[in-house]
Amino acid sequence: MPAISLTINGRAHGPIEVREDLTMNDFLREVLGMTGTKFGCGAAQCLSCAVIVDHADGTSSTMPTCIVAATEFDKLNIRTVEGHAKNGELTPLQKSFIAHFAFQCGYCTPGFLNEGQVLLERLEKSPIPRAELEGTIAEALDGHLCRCSGYVKYHQAVRDVVLADAHRFLT
Amino acid sequence: MRLSRREFVTWVAASGITLATSRLRAAQAARFDETQILPGAAAPRPVHGATGRIDAVAKVTGAKLYASDFRAADMDGWPPTTAHALLLRGTDAAHVFAGLDLSALDASAQPTKIVTAEDLARAGTRVPPFYAGDLLCPVGNTPLYLGQPVALLLFETFDAYDRARVRLRQTSPVKLGVETGPLAQPNYAALRFTRVAGDAPGAPDVYSPLMEGWISPGFFEAGGRPIWQPLPTSEGGQYKKGATYGDEIRAFIAANDPGTLVLDRSFRTQSVDPMFLEPECGLGWYDPKAKALQLVLGVQSPLEASEALGHLLGEATPTLRPERIETHFAHLGGGFGGRDHTPFPLYVALAAMFLPGRPIRLAHDRFQQFQGGIKRHAFEMRSQVAIDRASGRMRAFAADHILDGGGLANYSASVAAVSATSAIGIYDIPKVDVTTLAEHSRGVTAGSMRGYGVLQTTAALETLVDEAAEAIGLDPITLRRRNLLKAGGLTMTGNPWTVSVRTPEILDKLEGHALWRERALAQKTASADTLVGTGVAVCAKDYGTGADCALGRVEVDPKGRIRIFCDAVEMGNGIGTAVANRVAQFLGRMADEVSVARIDAFDALGLVTSGDPYVITQEEQDTASRNPRWVPAVSSATSASIGAHVGTQAAAEAARIILRFGMWPAALALWGIGQEDPRHFLWDEAFWQDGMLILSGLPPLAQEEVAAKAHAMGALTGAMAHAFSRWAWAQAAFPLDGLDWAADIDALAVRRGEGPFKVLDRSFIAFPPASYNRIGTSFTSSCGTLVRVEIDKASGAVRVMQAYSVLECGQALSPQVVLGQAQGGFAMGVGYALLENLPPFEDGPGNGRWNLGDYVVARASDLPIHALEVEVLPPVAPNEPPKGMAEVVMIPVVPAILNAIHDATGHRFQALPVTPDDVRRVL
Repeated sequence: MPAISLTINGRAHGPIEVREDLTMNDFLREVLGMTGTKFGCGAAQCLSCAVIVDHADGTSSTMPTCIVAATEFDKLNIRTVEGHAKNGELTPLQKSFIAHFAFQCGYCTPGFLNEGQVLLERLEKSPIPRAELEGTIAEALDGHLCRCSGYVKYHQAVRDVVLADAHRFLT
Repeated sequence: MRLSRREFVTWVAASGITLATSRLRAAQAARFDETQILPGAAAPRPVHGATGRIDAVAKVTGAKLYASDFRAADMDGWPPTTAHALLLRGTDAAHVFAGLDLSALDASAQPTKIVTAEDLARAGTRVPPFYAGDLLCPVGNTPLYLGQPVALLLFETFDAYDRARVRLRQTSPVKLGVETGPLAQPNYAALRFTRVAGDAPGAPDVYSPLMEGWISPGFFEAGGRPIWQPLPTSEGGQYKKGATYGDEIRAFIAANDPGTLVLDRSFRTQSVDPMFLEPECGLGWYDPKAKALQLVLGVQSPLEASEALGHLLGEATPTLRPERIETHFAHLGGGFGGRDHTPFPLYVALAAMFLPGRPIRLAHDRFQQFQGGIKRHAFEMRSQVAIDRASGRMRAFAADHILDGGGLANYSASVAAVSATSAIGIYDIPKVDVTTLAEHSRGVTAGSMRGYGVLQTTAALETLVDEAAEAIGLDPITLRRRNLLKAGGLTMTGNPWTVSVRTPEILDKLEGHALWRERALAQKTASADTLVGTGVAVCAKDYGTGADCALGRVEVDPKGRIRIFCDAVEMGNGIGTAVANRVAQFLGRMADEVSVARIDAFDALGLVTSGDPYVITQEEQDTASRNPRWVPAVSSATSASIGAHVGTQAAAEAARIILRFGMWPAALALWGIGQEDPRHFLWDEAFWQDGMLILSGLPPLAQEEVAAKAHAMGALTGAMAHAFSRWAWAQAAFPLDGLDWAADIDALAVRRGEGPFKVLDRSFIAFPPASYNRIGTSFTSSCGTLVRVEIDKASGAVRVMQAYSVLECGQALSPQVVLGQAQGGFAMGVGYALLENLPPFEDGPGNGRWNLGDYVVARASDLPIHALEVEVLPPVAPNEPPKGMAEVVMIPVVPAILNAIHDATGHRFQALPVTPDDVRRVL
């Protein structure tokens, strides 16, 4: 069996032997016991399983874990829902999700949190005009499925983090 | 046939197995103090509007909360390794099941053990009567329905399980024998609801279900369909009498008087999946030494699950019969009725019992969840309405409903009854006759999914009303207003609604909204390649089932900290937050701990029950209620719609008692007010503000100070209560500090200081009369919706551009949760109208090939997320109790969209969902 090594939330893991067809989702949940990353559909349609991948060029993106083999994550640096808060301090986006009552059952929250965080970090590097904000958020979050909330509060929560620190995210 | 609104069967401990439940360890939110997951710590002062949900931090930090998060290693005292189970389901219900062929699995994917129907028979397990079907199809039998389980495969390792799961999805191991065709089984229910009002306003009804009882025909065709004619039965003339009135109503409609508009329309609604995001799963461990079965489950009905497990194993052979079953109930990743009375926990228990000593996990993947999870009933409806052309008043209504209940018994009878009794919606119609038939089929089981019954009938009714308005030449809102059922008016079961009736205000709001007033302008200004339309619809949604229970336990410690236990389940509905808010009104502080799904925390009440609360006779109830521990039912399933009204009731009354007999005497002592002082009795004029107890003219007292004094005095510092509602709360009185304290609860235990809870005997009890079981509903909330759609002429795609929903739900305990539920309900309504569809039978989810992608639910891009306005009417009075909501917001969205599509295209669609192809065909 191949062995993989990767960094999750700043902590090195591995080398760990895995089946070639073991999904990353099962690697996180069954091998490492990190169940913050959810399993929803196994078909990359709901994205409750998405994690953040931090690339070598300094950019980040989300990637579904339910259809991607764990071996594809070898040598990668990823972040999951468990790694957002630091030293007991929630991030602005986590606080905003709470303040807006963005989620209900919360099962999709890790995916939305990861996607929203990637968006914020992207906007910080490449600010956009205010007029493009709602459309940009909608485009970023649209792949994520939520059955409880109707999405409104998730979008408002992301928007309000941007607007609360507009000079950082907007041109 | 005994008529029951809900076929609720209790198996309490007949098995002799001790049933226990307990709480999972606190959410493992590393680096967060447990109190940080609670609103009290962050914002202890505000009684209303505290920041965040009670489970908020846990949910944004990935804490282990859901049943799917737990493995053996997470459980105290369990062996550390988790085995895995795979539930194999058949995909054919027309051939004999001839056994399994697992040759597609190589050695690395072979199960350690295979559990079959024969194993269950040898073990002596019993299927709980509610489900009425084999849990595993025996070899030699034709599966009862598509997707019926045929075997449980048990694997020692995750890798073996995972390989087998994937492989067996590609190559079915199910061997088929001779073709038999689908099995015929009796239908689940056939009911008829007929009402003939008196001739004059206010005159008593001539005939109603409330007067005469619910009726069912006595004769059936060979195929199982009822014969609805008024034939006498061996039981007497009960059916004949009602059916005779019903046939007269139909004859009146058929007469087609020139002064009367008669519309006769058919409407079809589809089956859909609740599509909660967390597929069903569970963890079990049978410790043969201790003869104890432990389980981790996520269900909406904890007591039912516990009792069903006791029944399943109660008469099993000694090696497969635990002496104790302990169930840990987790938060749910969504429910929507799909986890209410689900048979899934039974399979988790079987997996554990057949691999003793090894913790084992059974988890659906999404294919399996579509294949085996509870669905919404598909409906075929025929509706006829007769409207006086001159006055616009509805004079008669008749309808016939046929529901597909699928193959395993569930709540089909209840859904049939609710659909029938909601068939006339918000309207006052003097002559009504509705038949309803819940059929058995080979389809996947349908159950009590969100808004059940009312969603389907409201879609048919509100599009019919819209068409009638056009035919008569009246504005759609005007026609609705002329026919509204007013406060005190009688519903089609012959009883009034006993809560606030606010449909007139809702119609006024809709009529005055710019979306409605400017609908013609919107059409005129549409671009050349689009059609624009505006639609309206209103609904009233019952909340409650006619036998609803709440358990609540509240404790205040010497520092004023509050701990709450309740039996309701948290599935996203915010019940923990709502309970905390309601208790805070009495005790001045948000709870520091709310523990949900805790049916184990009420032993001190010593509750006993008997019989079925839906069919109990008055005599039986009177006799049983002489036992001060007897209640009609102990705990009921959680649904979002009854959360506020029912789920918070017992905790709220417990908190009120602590205020009156604990905090208030302490405050009097601190103020130095003696018994002779008239202010001694003003406890209900005192109020909490910013953590201080205030009574005019006296110095405010800090909540902590009052709590400490109450403890020091040995005053009352804890109360646990049970409440029961059959369209009215049971009321009882209890001896407390020399008073007879009357409240809307039927059992009470209290503690003083840090002492133990002691149960109090009732000095008075009044359960709602048994005859209330004839009521369809007396609790309703209402919601009206306007939508504006834009239709792309080329593709036929319908897009909801803008919407306005106005609802009333009494006192909103947590306004942000209410708003979120409303927005989520709107999204689900859009999905039901335009996107979601599960075909019946072989092409449907029972074939195991359905997943998201084929099944489309609403995404943000399908919704007007920046143009969705939700208005919640303030309560009619400050003390109006909370009413049900959530599903009520979803329901009118569907007919409003259909009416808007008609406004845009001139075509009335009478089948759901309306797809772009459907629209393109009529353009």
